[in-house]
Amino acid sequence: MQTRFLALLLVLPALIMIVLFFIVPLFASILGAFEVGDSFGLGNFSKSFDLYSRDMIFTVVIVSISTALIGILSIAIGGYLTLGENPRSVAILRWLYRWPMFIPFIVVGQVLRTFLAKNGLMNNILVSLGILTPLQTTGFLDWRGIVIAFVWKQTPFVTLLVAGAMASLDRSTIEAARNLGASRLRILIEIVVPQVSGTLLVGLILSFVTMMSVLSVPLMINAQSPTMLTADIAFRINAHGDYGVANALGVISLLLTAGVALIYLRQTMKDRL
Amino acid sequence: MRPFLSVEKMSVGYGTTTVLDKLDLGIHKGEFVALLGSSGCGKTTLLRTIAGFTKPFFGSIRVADRDVTQMPPDKRGMALVFQSYALWPHMTVAQNIGYGLKLQRRSRENIDARVNEMQNLLGLAGLGDRKPGQLSGGQRQRVALGRALAIDPEILLLDEPLSNLDARIRLTVRHEIRSLQKRLGITAIHVTHDREEAMVMADRIIIMNAGCIEQEGSPEDVYNKPASPFVAAFMGAENLLSMRARVQGEQVELMEGSFNPSVVTARAGRTLATGPIELRFRAEAARLARSEDKTVLQPGTLELRGQVTSVSYPGGHWRHAIRLGENEILVDADTPFNQGETVRVCIPAKSLFIFNVVEGLAEARAH
Repeated sequence: MQTRFLALLLVLPALIMIVLFFIVPLFASILGAFEVGDSFGLGNFSKSFDLYSRDMIFTVVIVSISTALIGILSIAIGGYLTLGENPRSVAILRWLYRWPMFIPFIVVGQVLRTFLAKNGLMNNILVSLGILTPLQTTGFLDWRGIVIAFVWKQTPFVTLLVAGAMASLDRSTIEAARNLGASRLRILIEIVVPQVSGTLLVGLILSFVTMMSVLSVPLMINAQSPTMLTADIAFRINAHGDYGVANALGVISLLLTAGVALIYLRQTMKDRL
Repeated sequence: MRPFLSVEKMSVGYGTTTVLDKLDLGIHKGEFVALLGSSGCGKTTLLRTIAGFTKPFFGSIRVADRDVTQMPPDKRGMALVFQSYALWPHMTVAQNIGYGLKLQRRSRENIDARVNEMQNLLGLAGLGDRKPGQLSGGQRQRVALGRALAIDPEILLLDEPLSNLDARIRLTVRHEIRSLQKRLGITAIHVTHDREEAMVMADRIIIMNAGCIEQEGSPEDVYNKPASPFVAAFMGAENLLSMRARVQGEQVELMEGSFNPSVVTARAGRTLATGPIELRFRAEAARLARSEDKTVLQPGTLELRGQVTSVSYPGGHWRHAIRLGENEILVDADTPFNQGETVRVCIPAKSLFIFNVVEGLAEARAH
């Protein structure tokens, strides 16, 4: 009995932290989402869907496209790091690819805003090279800008995980394929990627959840409609003090990420069996 | 006859270290050759260079008069079986075996037929839909072999394929691989550090040490006529004594020492010079006798006197540790002798491996 009490005492500080700073606020906002005036109801949700259903689709589409691109790029970079035969270019790439990871989202947004705008650096360069005329330039400060920012920022993180998993593969599984005549691309797609698919999936899901919660990038790059749910939540609170709809939008985001988390849990359970 | 596979003056290394230096090697069609040596001797490097995974600094590799030195691994007509088997865990047994054929763009029916043939040949029938993770070590080994053989290579390269198997399975797999190789008439190079494995499986054994070929020959040759102290020790002649010898024509006299009377034996083709020698023999080659036993010895038999310090029974015979001053030797006998007893150790002339001591080198090689 004594030891049991002691064990409880040891867990208590951590438990209190979780309950106080995580569970309680979470339940408060979930409850808040159903609070309409003095009673409970689905009013906030119907309002959310009325006002922001386009933004919901926009958010899911942007984050999904970004996740897919991040997956492709991280496989390409990780694959080159693992299978590349020129030691110098492998070393350069290994050194280069991690940098965006250490740059905050808000800075990424700011950098890309000045780079991608209609009169931004990218178009200025294209114009001065004579590739485009000033009239032909278009800004990328819409959904494309957000996707570019997300991919630029999150690819290194997923690559780090994927390249690590690729590096710890049994090299001889790669050599065995080479011995039978597989090209490097086939080795990457048929031998390497299937063996690191679990890690890739985890990296992509973590990225998906991260991107769902980023506010700075949509605010910096594309604050007009349609925009991402995070910007809408901030707008509801800052401009209207409307915590009800903000909470409802939060619950909807939570459900979207929960769907992805479910895929992750399923995958890990399958691996364990 | 020109060898089917020949390696000429090949030097291989990594970065600035040279692992193999000006190595020559010839292997005939249908031959089963074992590359035998302790770890780090360069045997795996040699195999990987032949396979095309490591590029040599100099020298050439030829297969049937075709220079393959610069060719990629898949164009050499060789298939390598890896030590770890290197099976692809996400593919089934059938997909593993059929992958090489799929790369050759064979038709589905063709691939299925060949995969079935391989599975039947290797006793894997009915396991085609399993993943490697669901197989035993021996079955995985056979899948790896099937994957290599499916593409019908001219040369099969085996990189310690048995070292991950249980001791008991290993014994049967040795014979399976050997009989398979004979049946298919395929040329095989087998890397191993297991002397007995090499002896049982190979037509010819190539013993390597520190990046050089120490000796090559049939199993009987390398076992009974080791060309160097290293080969003698590697082939089990672990007992080592230092003596002096006087060479007169075809006769070698081992000079009297503190534990032995002088004995004259035939030179028997050995290149020996008068001077210090090291003498090696196997524990099972010597015979033990009680000190009062006065049996007349065959001419040329070396006789030593020592004290039994310990007796053990590893199975089949009794093993005695016998002290000769500073040295201790191991000798087997059918019946146990008492601890502390003074005994005669008789080693027949044909079991004595005698080498001149090369200054500085002897110590390094003895280990």
